Amino acid sequence: MTNERSESEDGAVALEMGLNEQSIERRHKAVTLLPEDLARIARIREAVARRAEEFGKSFFDYLAGLDDARDFMRNAEAVHRARQLKIEHLAAMVGGNYGMEYALQRLKLARVYSRAGLETRIFLGAFHHLLRLVGTAILKSARSPEEAFEDFMALKKVAFFDIGIIVDVMVFERERVIRRQQEAIRELTTPVLQIRDRLLMLPIIGTIDTHRARMLTEGLLHSIRVNRAKVVVMDVTGVAAVDTKVANHLLQTVAASRLMGAMVIVTGLSAEVSQTLVNLGVDLAGLRTIGDLQGGIEEAEQLLGYQMSRIDRPKVAGVLSPSN
Amino acid sequence: MSEPRRIAVSRDEDVVVARQIGRALATEIGFKGSDLTLIATAISEVARNIVVYAKHGDITLDIVEDRGRRGVCVVARDEGPGIPDVEKAMRDGFSTGGSLGLGLPGARRLMDDFEIVSQVGVGTTVTMRKWTTRS
Amino acid sequence: MSVPILRQGDVLIASIQVAQTDEDLRGLRDQLATEVGSQRAKGVIIDVTALDVMDSFATRTLRAIAYSSRLRGAHTVVVGIQPDVAFAMVQLGLDLGAVSTALDLDDAIDELRARRSEESRA
Repeated sequence: MTNERSESEDGAVALEMGLNEQSIERRHKAVTLLPEDLARIARIREAVARRAEEFGKSFFDYLAGLDDARDFMRNAEAVHRARQLKIEHLAAMVGGNYGMEYALQRLKLARVYSRAGLETRIFLGAFHHLLRLVGTAILKSARSPEEAFEDFMALKKVAFFDIGIIVDVMVFERERVIRRQQEAIRELTTPVLQIRDRLLMLPIIGTIDTHRARMLTEGLLHSIRVNRAKVVVMDVTGVAAVDTKVANHLLQTVAASRLMGAMVIVTGLSAEVSQTLVNLGVDLAGLRTIGDLQGGIEEAEQLLGYQMSRIDRPKVAGVLSPSN
Repeated sequence: MSEPRRIAVSRDEDVVVARQIGRALATEIGFKGSDLTLIATAISEVARNIVVYAKHGDITLDIVEDRGRRGVCVVARDEGPGIPDVEKAMRDGFSTGGSLGLGLPGARRLMDDFEIVSQVGVGTTVTMRKWTTRS
Repeated sequence: MSVPILRQGDVLIASIQVAQTDEDLRGLRDQLATEVGSQRAKGVIIDVTALDVMDSFATRTLRAIAYSSRLRGAHTVVVGIQPDVAFAMVQLGLDLGAVSTALDLDDAIDELRARRSEESRA
């Protein structure tokens, strides 16, 4: 992914994550960033900023020494970009402005890490190492150890503000990948099959929760339109547990299909389960059910005007029984 | 960041405008196809209630955020007659004005959060929110 | 903005456009009530393909149209409900009752034809 395209995505990620003026202010409050802290940071600005390049380099030297960071360090483009941004970061960290622009800067670097596969715990280790160096520099330039400590504590608030954003972004990005993978898997496990002109079959297997029910329904409805289906055979033989919730999902799917002009035949609903559902108050009156899948398909074919007839000379041997 | 949008509602046309703006706002924060229809439908219902029962009011559409999730917030406000028995109105099938009721229980089903405050002689405020899913 | 109504044989076809207001739908209902009678229509097809939202009012009106058409001896078929809209309607708890639905115009015309031959046989 080129830099330009990925960077225009930064804004979109910020939006999706809810990174805005209000949430940034809440993050400031979370680390209790106060005016006196800003005053202290202003005092140490020079000492830290003039060594920004040196500090940045040691951050990456630290990573280079870690086995777990090897893959990341091998990604030349990512490391190059990260080095640039890191130096900017360090200067900005003592810059005194920690608003939207600052936050977006952290987001940008976090996304570079994320795309290059740098793990959160590795980043934290390197960041901690960096903070130690900065702390040592502050100690050297302060008037007293006590003052150095207070100045460092003030800067640490900003550091934790940074960590908060960077880690949240890295986690968010990883979740996005997982979500996409899950959707792909779900699509594979809810196939709608066109078995004849205008006839669809939807075999449902496994457990059905609200989310999956919705995906199934939406998938079916779109298939009805694309395939111009008039009849759908929905087989629930493989559904783990048909309780009232699942039954209601099925009823909704049937109702929605009907609105699109498609009739649904439900197969695989045993008489016992049907009776239980009725006893529990589910209205199965409008539901067209056939015990087994084969029967359901035959019914559907009849409805569509297909006629099945036996030919005298089948092509496969052994089909004719002795009595024929 | 977008500003909240306030739409005055008093005529049929405003119902259409409100749901179109609602759809556009929801698209901005990443809602997908069917969610957009759900949100637009819910807005349509509450907007119509204003036109039919209160004659005029307004709908405010806003983007909201909570623990990292984005969402759309719809506030439908009017100074109409108010609903004497809100609980009854929220029960399915209840209606004074037509065969399918006030549409409120339906709107509630479509949205994630739903609050209604109503006082006879003062007016009604319906607040609804729908959130994008964060895995 | 009124809804255009076309005639094909003894079937009236009304195509609802995207941004239809409640008033437009009411107008359609009244217009169809007149035309079904004056044109001696046997079928009414209402095409809602372009509707992005089908709420309680629209549903109510479609049912009313079907009812009044029935009183005048015509059968109504609603066509073109989109997947997202069908889903939302079901979530909202709306149903078209006894009003027939079909995927598109071709199916609707087939359905009307089938009904007619059934009725003439009865």
